[in-house]
Parts: sequence; structure tokens; C-alpha cells
Amino acid sequence: MSSLMLRGVFLLILLGLVPDAPARNIDLASVPERTEVQLTIYNAEDLTLVRETRILAFAKGQNPLQFSWANTLIDPTSVELRFLDHSGQLMLQDTTFPHDKPQMLFWNVESQADLTAKIEIGYFISGIHWTADYTALANPDETALRLEGFVRVDNQSGEDYPDAQVRLVIGSIHLVEKIAQLARIPVTQLEGLERTQRQELKKRALRQVMEKDEMAMGSVMAMSPPAPAVALERPKEIEKQGLSEYFIYTIEGTETIPNGWAKRLKSFAAPRVPLAVQYRYRVAEYGDQLVRLYLAKNDKPSGLGATPLPEGSLQALRENPSGGMRFLAVLPLKYVPIGDNLELNLGEDPEVVFKERHLATRRDELWMRYTQGNLYRKVGEGDMRLDLDSSVAGWNEHQVWGQRIHNFTGRLIEVEIRRAYGGDVVFTSELNPKLHDFQTVEYLTRVKPGEKAERRYEITQKQGYNQKQNRVQLQTGRVHP
Amino acid sequence: MFCVVARRFWWLGVILGVEPGVLLARTQLVSLPVREKVEIQLTHPRTTLVEEERTLPLLKGSNAVNFAWANTRIDPASVIFRVVPGAVPDSGVEVLSVSYPPNENALVWRLSAPEAGPVKIRIAYRLEGLEKRFHYRALANHDESRLTVTQFMALDNLANESYDLASLWPGFGERWQRPVGIQETKEVATARFAAVPVKKTYTCDPVQYGWLDAAQKKLHVPMHYVLFNDAAHGLGQAALPAGKARIFQEDGRGGSAFLGEDRAAFTPLDEELPLSLGLARDIVVKRTLERNDKKRLAGNLYEYDWVVKFEVENFKDTPAELSIVESVRAIRRELLGDKPREPEWQLGKDHSLGTADADKSDADRLQFRLILPAHTASPLVGRLHLILKNEW
Repeated sequence: MSSLMLRGVFLLILLGLVPDAPARNIDLASVPERTEVQLTIYNAEDLTLVRETRILAFAKGQNPLQFSWANTLIDPTSVELRFLDHSGQLMLQDTTFPHDKPQMLFWNVESQADLTAKIEIGYFISGIHWTADYTALANPDETALRLEGFVRVDNQSGEDYPDAQVRLVIGSIHLVEKIAQLARIPVTQLEGLERTQRQELKKRALRQVMEKDEMAMGSVMAMSPPAPAVALERPKEIEKQGLSEYFIYTIEGTETIPNGWAKRLKSFAAPRVPLAVQYRYRVAEYGDQLVRLYLAKNDKPSGLGATPLPEGSLQALRENPSGGMRFLAVLPLKYVPIGDNLELNLGEDPEVVFKERHLATRRDELWMRYTQGNLYRKVGEGDMRLDLDSSVAGWNEHQVWGQRIHNFTGRLIEVEIRRAYGGDVVFTSELNPKLHDFQTVEYLTRVKPGEKAERRYEITQKQGYNQKQNRVQLQTGRVHP
Repeated sequence: MFCVVARRFWWLGVILGVEPGVLLARTQLVSLPVREKVEIQLTHPRTTLVEEERTLPLLKGSNAVNFAWANTRIDPASVIFRVVPGAVPDSGVEVLSVSYPPNENALVWRLSAPEAGPVKIRIAYRLEGLEKRFHYRALANHDESRLTVTQFMALDNLANESYDLASLWPGFGERWQRPVGIQETKEVATARFAAVPVKKTYTCDPVQYGWLDAAQKKLHVPMHYVLFNDAAHGLGQAALPAGKARIFQEDGRGGSAFLGEDRAAFTPLDEELPLSLGLARDIVVKRTLERNDKKRLAGNLYEYDWVVKFEVENFKDTPAELSIVESVRAIRRELLGDKPREPEWQLGKDHSLGTADADKSDADRLQFRLILPAHTASPLVGRLHLILKNEW
């Protein structure tokens, strides 16, 4: 027996009550404790699946059970009761949601004998979140990175979860088909649904997916029981398991996460991830600046590659030769699949100066259009006379550009320049460029320590009548300003 | 060492006699290891990283260590716990978890230690409110040929925490150790450069500096001290951070006079640092548009022939270097209005300002350098002759 608190989830066996009259003001109840609890936290929809088991004594006949969740964020429609043993002798007869007690329900359980049974109560709760974060510490010469990943679970659900097994779901599931199925409308009409209705359907669809996966995985609590106590604790392992389009991280053993608290655990540590430094100029991605990047790979040779890296924030630092650390940047890390590149944008480097200079403009291939008819004549060709009724209709504009890169870092640096050009363009240079796509030119260059390099190229833009295409052509040639 | 926990600022405590898994009760008896070393890294332009070193007395097995920071702005996500590398080879101390209590600026590490005993650790965190700024003081010699430049760094401590013996490092030069109190500003000279050669220049640029007297076509002519951030010019140790520069000049009688101040821009290595000291009145530049001809090439296609004439007088008793800066686009706007195309131009035969400085000129901006003799008897005349091609 225990007295009721104002907050939390409670299961009571109501004693001495007739099954159809549970809503009295004075009750006598037995409060069975939780024996196990499992949290599966799905961030994408602020939804956590809770499965808790309790041991209950049932008397032969009708057994009224009261389940209440005052001041918590449980979804009442999601609460389920399962009998983990004696299922042939126990039967849930009905569930009552009293109109005057919104955060409570009653189950009537028929038992064929006096027995003690293990039951499981499952429900969805909001307010439990998890996030990933990373610390990346480069060695002084920036050839390797110590990368540590963490997961942080934050419990704002209104309920304490002592000794809970915690599982974290990574990834976002495409639920359009399921939502349409639940709404009984074609996928094409989903946009017409009200936002709140769509949200609700999305949650229901997600539940179905999660429950299906639960079935596929079996009882995780049974699969990985809490670790036995050992003399010296070690950081917990976080088991990573791929499931369909997403991953589940299962934290070894159990964790206690009281309401209002957050807990952070190490997910992995890769002590020596090979690292390359590259400078990049990509306006569309990094803005109009040359940025410095740490490049690594989420693969086995790097000591990673066991799992995708969930999105989260990353703190990048560099060890000083003296042993201290130098702060480099805090940046958002996007989801990194296994085998993909890890690109950490550290921002501008004051030791590398980058300037783009427009050096010259000239125009040629000028074509005039006569106002009367579609007659064109090339300027400077043949015996042409001035015609006051003509105007410029087409021309080629040549622009010479120089990209100055001054390297004061004391080491050779690699710089990648990527630029997009609209229209019909010829890119002339001796820079050995390649096309990133039909309108984007990319080239790599290396700049020695102390060198003040200027890489020149010419852009020829075919304008007006001269424009026949919408793409960039690459041409090798010397550029004269 | 046991003591009552003061809840002002931040503190680090090893929680004694508490089952590590049970940290909900926030009334605790703790052991407070003192800071032994603090490093304040000011290398990042906007973020300050603090690292402090302490010795933690750990019990064999699990230990709970509380770190709290009341009334200060530490980013809890930034806090990093490290056993000092090399201090205890393979101490085996590991962080098992970090817990964040509700409504508190605090966290609790749960550590496992293979043996009882002291362990030297480092805690690093990003701290707001501890910010640096730079400024410069320059003293010119009497003939304005050399400067003595002192660079200062000021540390404004609005972080609500004092550091008794902090090692501060701005990312270049020497580390310095000073106590930094709450709400204090600590200023130190971070570098001193003696006998830095300085070039005194005058510049006219109608786009950047405008007109002294538009009706008389006279331009503003600001004077600059130009420093060069390389070793050959007495600097070149590192990029110079942006900051206010105050310039004084020796008056020849043992004192100095204030010449003016300017905001020095961030100056990378091998780059010029111009410091403006106001307008020169003894150098007069009159700018007129002398020629504006056009020739029809076809239909609406034209070629323009423009001459910009400069009449320059130096009333000083010393020669002076004048930079004349023009924008082709600005001249075209002056004469033809706004046009969407880049101007295509070449210098004409009447051009007399010499070759444009290739380093400072581009497709639009042209910079020419003139050496003006002292006391010009009559105005020096120079012409910028532009042929603007293929305009419509």
C-alpha cells in the first residue's frame, strides 16, 4: 500500500470494490511497484514508447485496476495492458475512461484463479528527448582527430523513470502512405488535411511502425538484461542496431532519469581519426568567404563506421603543443551515414587571405538587330552602313578574374574553388578545372607556405542573341588581363 | 578538505558518502579541490575558452563530482572533463555519465577510478562575458618617418567570476599571467614595435572621400600613415587585430602632441595598414571632366571618349605622395547614369597619370601615384583619358 502523490504514473489494485462501481471518493488500493521499464525515444515526433512491467496478485473473479497519470504527458488513447504470463487465465474484460477524471482509466480483469502474474503496460508519452553531441579534438599538427560522441536524454515528461532501459531511435520515417491509409484518403489529398489532424495521424502512423518494429525485435528487456554489478564500473556500451531505415541505440543496463533531469552518456570514442584540412570557396554552401574544413570519414579505417552519426552539435577544438586546447568552432553536424564524409566547417582562417578580383572586361561578337524584319549584321564585318534603327542584340562579354590566395599558415594548403555561372558561358584557364554540374566550375589548387598566389581565369558570357545554351564549357588557355 | 559550499559563482566538488546513482537530493557535503592553474584561451575572435586544472581526491570505484556555476554564463554543452594528459600515466579514470539537475546551473559527473588517490584533471568550458579587445598607441618621431607602436589587449571581465592567477593567451605573442577580478578590465601591452617605418600618403578618391568644395571641383584629400605588416617593416609577427589606434607625435621638446585617431582594420600579414589622420589642407586637388565625346559605332552602340583632368598643388615645404583613385563605373554613372553592364575601357593617348598600380587596381578601380615636389609654383596637371568601348 502507499499513499498517492500528485504527480506520476500509478497502478492500483482496487480492493473491496465491485467492478462496475470504481469511482468512489474513498478507495482502498494496493500499489504494485514497477519491476522493469523501457523507454524508446523517438525524437522526430516528440514521442516515447514506455513499456513497464509490474507483478500483480489477482484474485479469482473480477479484478478492477486503476491506472492514473496525473500531470504527465501520456497519450490516454495509447495505454495498453498485456499479460506476460498466465495469459490463458487472465482476460481484460473492459476499459473505462471516467468522464470526471481525465488522467485515469480502469481495467476490469477476469482471473480464473488466485494467481500472481507479470503484466506489461505500454503507452506513449511526450516530453522525453534525446540529442547527440560531439567533441572533436585535433592534434597539434592537425593530422588526426579524437572524436567522441555523446547522447543526452532529457526528461521533461512529468514522470520519474528509475532504472529504465533506454533506447534511442535515429532517423525519420516516411509515413505518407500510412497517414493516407489511416485517413482513408489518397496520398495526393494529404495536403488538404488540417495541420492538427495531420499531426495526429502522423503520430498514430508512427506508433504502428514502432509497434511493428518492437515485434520484430522481440522483447529487448529480455534480450539485454541489466549488467551484473562489477567491482569497477566502466562507461556503458551503447549497442547500435540498424532497423529498416533507421537505427536504434540501446544503452547498456539501466539508467535513472528523474523528471526534470538530463543525462549524458558517451556513445563512442574514436581516438585517432585520420584528418585532412581543406580550404573551400563555395558561395552557395559557405557564403562569400574561404573557409577551413576538417575532413574525415565515417568508416572502419577511421575507427568509426559502425553506425551513422546522428545529427547534433559538434564542438571542435585543437590541442596546443603545450597541452591546453584551442577553441575552433561549434557547428551543427548533419546526419552522417556509414561510409560518408564528415565535413567540419571551421569558418574563415585569418592566416589564409582570399580575395577575388575582377581584372578586366571586354566585349566582342556584337550583333545588331534591325527594327524592321529579322536582319542581323555583324559589327565590323563587310561594307556595313550605320542604321539608326538597329540596336545591340547579342554580344560576348569576356571578364578576367584573379583569385588571390595568401598562405601564412606555415604549411602547404589545398584550396578548392567552386563557382556557379548562369547562362551560356565558356570558362578559360590553365587551372585544370572540372564541372561540378552543368553550370558550376570547380578546381583544386595548392598554395605553398608563405606563397601569395593568384589564379586567373576568363569567363566568356554569350549574351542576348549570342546565347544559344544554358551551360558552362571548359576551355584550356592562357589568360591575359 | 571539507567546507560549506558557497553558491556564488562556480565550484567543483567531490560529493562524499553519496551513492553515485542517487543524486536527487541536492543538499550535499562536498570536498572542494582548489584551482591550481587556469588558462584563458582568447584565440577565437568571439569565444573564450577557459581551462582550469585541479586535483581531485577520488575513491576507488564510483565517484560523483559536482560542477556548478551560479550567476555565470557557461554553456553546459561545452564543458569537457579530461584527466591531464601525461600527469598520471593511464590513470584509468573514466567518465561514466554526466547528469544535469533541473533548474540549476550545474552538472554531476559520475567517474570510475581503479585506485583511490588524487588525480589531476582539467575542466574546459566556453564562457560568455569575458571578452577581449585591442587598441594601439603609436608615437611618431619628429620627421614622421618612424613610429613606435604599442599594441594593448584589454580583457573585460563581465563573467561574474574572478581568476586569481590566470594565464591568458590571445593566440600570438607571449602568454601573460595576471589576476582578473570581477567587473574588472585588465589591460596589458601585448606587443611593442620600435622604429616602424611609416609612409605618409595623401589620397583623393571622389567615391570614398567625396568633395571638399563641389562647386569649385575640389576634392577631399585625407592624409594617412601607412604601415606594412611584414618583418621588413618592423612588424609581421602575426595578423594585427582590429582596434582603435591613437597617434601622437614627438614635439621635439621632450613631449608629444596628439595627432588623431582611427579605427585600425584587421590586417593580415603582408598587408598594408592605413591609418587616417584627417584632411590635409595644404594639398589641393581640383578635378574636372575636361572631355565628353561620343562616337556611334552602329545603331545604339557607342564609344565614349572622356578626359578627367586633375590640377594638383602642394603648399607644403616637403615633397608629398598623392594617390589618385577613380572608379570607371562611377565616372560612367556621372555622365551616362546607371548601366547594367560592366564597363569596357582602355586608356587613351592623352593619359598622363602614368601606369595604374596593378596591385590596387582592377576592372573598375584605378589608382595612380604622383610625387608632388615641395611648394609647387603652379598646379601640376595630370589627365585620366578613358575610352569607353561598346556601350549602349
